[in-house]
Amino acid sequence: MKLKKFLLFTLVFAVSLTGVAFAKDALIVADQYDPTTLDPIGHNDYPTSRACSHIYDTLIFLGKDGKLKPGLAEKWEFLTDKAYKIYLRCGVKFHNGEEMKAEDVKFSLERANTPAGSHIHTYSQDLEKVEIIDDYTVIIYLKKVNYPFFSSLVHSWGSIVNKKAVEAAGDDYGMNPVGTGPFKFVEWAKGDHYTLERFDDYWGEKAKFKTLTVRSIPEPTNRTIELETGAVDIAYPVTTVELRRIEESDELILQRKSLPSTTYLGFNVTKAPFNNLKVRQAIYALLDTVNIQRAVFRGVGKTPRSLVPSSTKYSIDDQLAPHERDVERAKKLFEEAGVDPSSLKIVIRSNERKERIDMATIIQAQLSELGIRSEIMQQEWGAYLSDLQKKTHDVFLLGWGLSVPDPDYAVAGLLESNAGTNYTGFNDPALDEMLQKGRSLPDGAEREKVYKDMQLYINSQLPMIYLHADEAIAGVRKIVKGFEVDPFEVHSFRNVYFEE
Amino acid sequence: MFKYILRRIFFLIPVLLGVAFCVFTLLYITPGDPARMVLGDLATDEAIKEFRDREGLNDPFLIQFWNYISKAVFKGDIGRSYSTKRPVMTEIMTAFPYTLKLSAFAMIIAIIIGIPCGIISAIKQYSWFDTFTMIFAMIGLSMPVFWLGLLLILLFAVNLRWLPSSGFSTFKAMILPSVALAAQSVSMVTRMTRSSMLEVIRADYIRTARAKGQKESIVIGVHALRNALIPVVTLCGLQFGQLLSGAILTESIFAVPGVGRLMVNAIMSRDYPMVQGGVLFIAITFSVVNLLVDLLYAYIDPRIKADLK
Amino acid sequence: MQNENNKNNETEIIPELTRKHRSPFIEVFYRLSKSPLAMFGLFIILILIFCAVFAELVAPYSPIKQDLMHMFETPSASHWLGTDEFGRDILSRLIYGARVSLQVGFIAVGIALIIGGILGAVSGYYGGRLDNFIMRIMDVLLSIPQTLLAIAIVAALGPSLMNLMIAVGISAVPSYARIVRSSVLSIRNMEFIEAARSVGSSDLRIIFRHIIPNSMAPIIVQSTLGVASAILNAAGLSFIGLGIQPPNPEWGAMLSGGRQYIRDFPHMTLYPGLAIMFTILALNFLGDGLRDALDPKLRR
Repeated sequence: MKLKKFLLFTLVFAVSLTGVAFAKDALIVADQYDPTTLDPIGHNDYPTSRACSHIYDTLIFLGKDGKLKPGLAEKWEFLTDKAYKIYLRCGVKFHNGEEMKAEDVKFSLERANTPAGSHIHTYSQDLEKVEIIDDYTVIIYLKKVNYPFFSSLVHSWGSIVNKKAVEAAGDDYGMNPVGTGPFKFVEWAKGDHYTLERFDDYWGEKAKFKTLTVRSIPEPTNRTIELETGAVDIAYPVTTVELRRIEESDELILQRKSLPSTTYLGFNVTKAPFNNLKVRQAIYALLDTVNIQRAVFRGVGKTPRSLVPSSTKYSIDDQLAPHERDVERAKKLFEEAGVDPSSLKIVIRSNERKERIDMATIIQAQLSELGIRSEIMQQEWGAYLSDLQKKTHDVFLLGWGLSVPDPDYAVAGLLESNAGTNYTGFNDPALDEMLQKGRSLPDGAEREKVYKDMQLYINSQLPMIYLHADEAIAGVRKIVKGFEVDPFEVHSFRNVYFEE
Repeated sequence: MFKYILRRIFFLIPVLLGVAFCVFTLLYITPGDPARMVLGDLATDEAIKEFRDREGLNDPFLIQFWNYISKAVFKGDIGRSYSTKRPVMTEIMTAFPYTLKLSAFAMIIAIIIGIPCGIISAIKQYSWFDTFTMIFAMIGLSMPVFWLGLLLILLFAVNLRWLPSSGFSTFKAMILPSVALAAQSVSMVTRMTRSSMLEVIRADYIRTARAKGQKESIVIGVHALRNALIPVVTLCGLQFGQLLSGAILTESIFAVPGVGRLMVNAIMSRDYPMVQGGVLFIAITFSVVNLLVDLLYAYIDPRIKADLK
Repeated sequence: MQNENNKNNETEIIPELTRKHRSPFIEVFYRLSKSPLAMFGLFIILILIFCAVFAELVAPYSPIKQDLMHMFETPSASHWLGTDEFGRDILSRLIYGARVSLQVGFIAVGIALIIGGILGAVSGYYGGRLDNFIMRIMDVLLSIPQTLLAIAIVAALGPSLMNLMIAVGISAVPSYARIVRSSVLSIRNMEFIEAARSVGSSDLRIIFRHIIPNSMAPIIVQSTLGVASAILNAAGLSFIGLGIQPPNPEWGAMLSGGRQYIRDFPHMTLYPGLAIMFTILALNFLGDGLRDALDPKLRR
């Protein structure tokens, strides 16, 4: 194995050095981190979702046009607003040779609701049960009306696993995945790379190359170097600093798409003085959010104006005016609130992500212009989250990314009063009601209005200040064709091939 | 001799218990709920409670400690990693070969460069070579490994494009991290070889050998070197133990998936079983290497043997 | 890890007991001044201390004043060492950073010295079971790598300047305890201690009046080198994000902050690295010189 790997690398290196052209049969990709596990419900981070998307299929796929299209489900019908009938594709093989049947679907989805799926409960919690009609038909029952639930099945949590394989592997399943996807698992050298191989019995269009190796290279600079030297064919994510190099290179192509994500400065609205709307507005007026974003990201992404990202349906982001700094207004608002800014001492919390610390550093400088003293507290992820849970913080920087194209997921997880990730402590019956209503309506004009009003309402209450909407950016070697950066950053290599 | 080894191993037990206790205490007072980290921030409160109950996180401190120790001692089970769900031992054993390779490479570099430089420096004391080597060794000692690592990447990976900056699968990729890690050891080995050589050269038996008219090369090569290298061997052994357990920064700069990086990630993600198991493993490695060094020392220096009985 | 270079030498050091005609300080300094490298080290340290104390006067700009119009400038007449990603003056940040680094170095060593010194002295003086007990605890701490121990302590206490000093300090305790113990052992049974004991001096008095002053030499050397390793250790922790919080300037943090810009703006990583290296180099030269100056036996 070692020798094979060594030879493979030397070969790739030799090829890139000499430029000898012969048909490439291995795609090497650089990702930022290793997946945590290869169990689709074991985690909810990007590298894991990406890895799972190669190995597994979901019942439905998300088309390029944003519409749902058949995956392992050939077709579906809504029996009631709480029951979906799913007709499964026949003759789909798992990597271990078993045929995919209704039993596997029931097992996969219901398993997500056990403690093993705690990372993705936000998607699975409204699932009541899956009923098997015959080997190729199931009915999914929900506990309550939840229209976004169905589209959430495109997320990696909805991956169909092989019941037998999961039960046989027990706790070790995360290292021994068995799916129906276009690539089957070969090996995983933790912290370094994992290798997958084309699954020749794939039900759909088979991959056009034999092996897929995904290396984890945490440093953005290193990822770019490896891409430039040809050691990898595709590299992501690409940071601001590296953009220009890739753009200027003759051998590389830069691909970018806006990402439905929001990085925000959240207020702890349960704590004085941030419980005072006027104070929140004053701080917002004092911050030059547009230029903070520009200074830190220098041309990547933009400052959002609404919590629902502009690429998501019903977003009013593009219709709103950009925020402008107004120090005088800030002063006036502080006066109206009866708060002396120079008496404030704010702790700005963040995890160690460089860009967030950078934004916090500029925010700190801008706050100080009205005499507000502030201190940046950089915490590592574990301590950070558990401190936010305690709701003793002042303000904090955090991000929220959408993996399912529905506005509900953009708002509910952050602001619904009972949401586990509601770190602002925002508790507003009016908003909760709007969210509930939005979920119970099928797509259409009525639903659209609910979400549009909701966005305006949130902006008027200002539980958070939007700082940055990111982009999905990948660098690709010119010889690689058929790759398209995914708007949810779950990049797929199903159609990738090498130019002869 | 055998009895001595047994006794040493026996003395290891309280030390390891102490290490386990220390780590346990530190983790106990560390803020951050492992349940939250493991289950994700979307987890429900029931799931969190269930996890805490299952993992015994709600038990009193001493009970938790006792459970851990008794499981480790009687069943040889040091638990599963919270985040990957794999056994801690498997995780460590996947990471350890990388660290071992890295340390061994660094040590080889240190010996190949350090010993000859030290010997020449000692023989030609106060020559320009000596001065140059000593200043260079001092710079090596003072160079922060994370800075040296960045400079090496900048020079050899970014500008010259000779060597890859990350990935530890190929021989080529191992060169930069090993060199960065070796810098300190090279300096120490050089300095130690030099000072030990100087002492020996002045010793009576060397003077006698010279007086007897033996060739200078034999005097240096046979008589002096053999004795001068005794402390150097010890140093190399100790250094190797240090490298095995302390390549944390080097591993994080060059993205080497070794034990050091595993430990830092485990601490950051509140992976308690991983941290406990990892630190214990490192402590055992370190102690065993030290024991081996002592035995080696006894083997090459007959004067010590008497003490070991 | 850093500390290892010092440990190997501890046994070589034998305290100077014989009184000279000149005051011992002047005698030591006289010997020290004959080593150009040690003087070079001392000179750099004095400059650093000056910068640290009078940072407000020395630094051309404020270390935290941002200028988003002048980001990533390479060295020029107005910014001698260029500016960083917020347009802050790198030279000024290095100067203020000296304050942080020296503070961390000296206080961490102070913590290690006080705790380790007391433990070592007690252990060496009383011997027996107490000695055994204390030394086993030190063995425990020694078998956890220093960096790892420091990381765990910072993770437990939360990152801040004070906690950084505590973490680095505690992780260095065992080496001081050992060195003090061994030098106490070597003089415990000397005649003048016997004499003091026979005239009825209390243990405390003997430890503080006789034993500690007479085992100063190795402690001074170890502390000088210890400041170096403490600074290095702290910079390492800051490098991986567990050190001093922004916007405060710290060399290790500046290095890690500039890391992602290393291809386009290497000046951001070059100068903080040089600052760390020269400081450590100076302390090591001084420590080596002090060792020779304090130990007449090694003089050649």
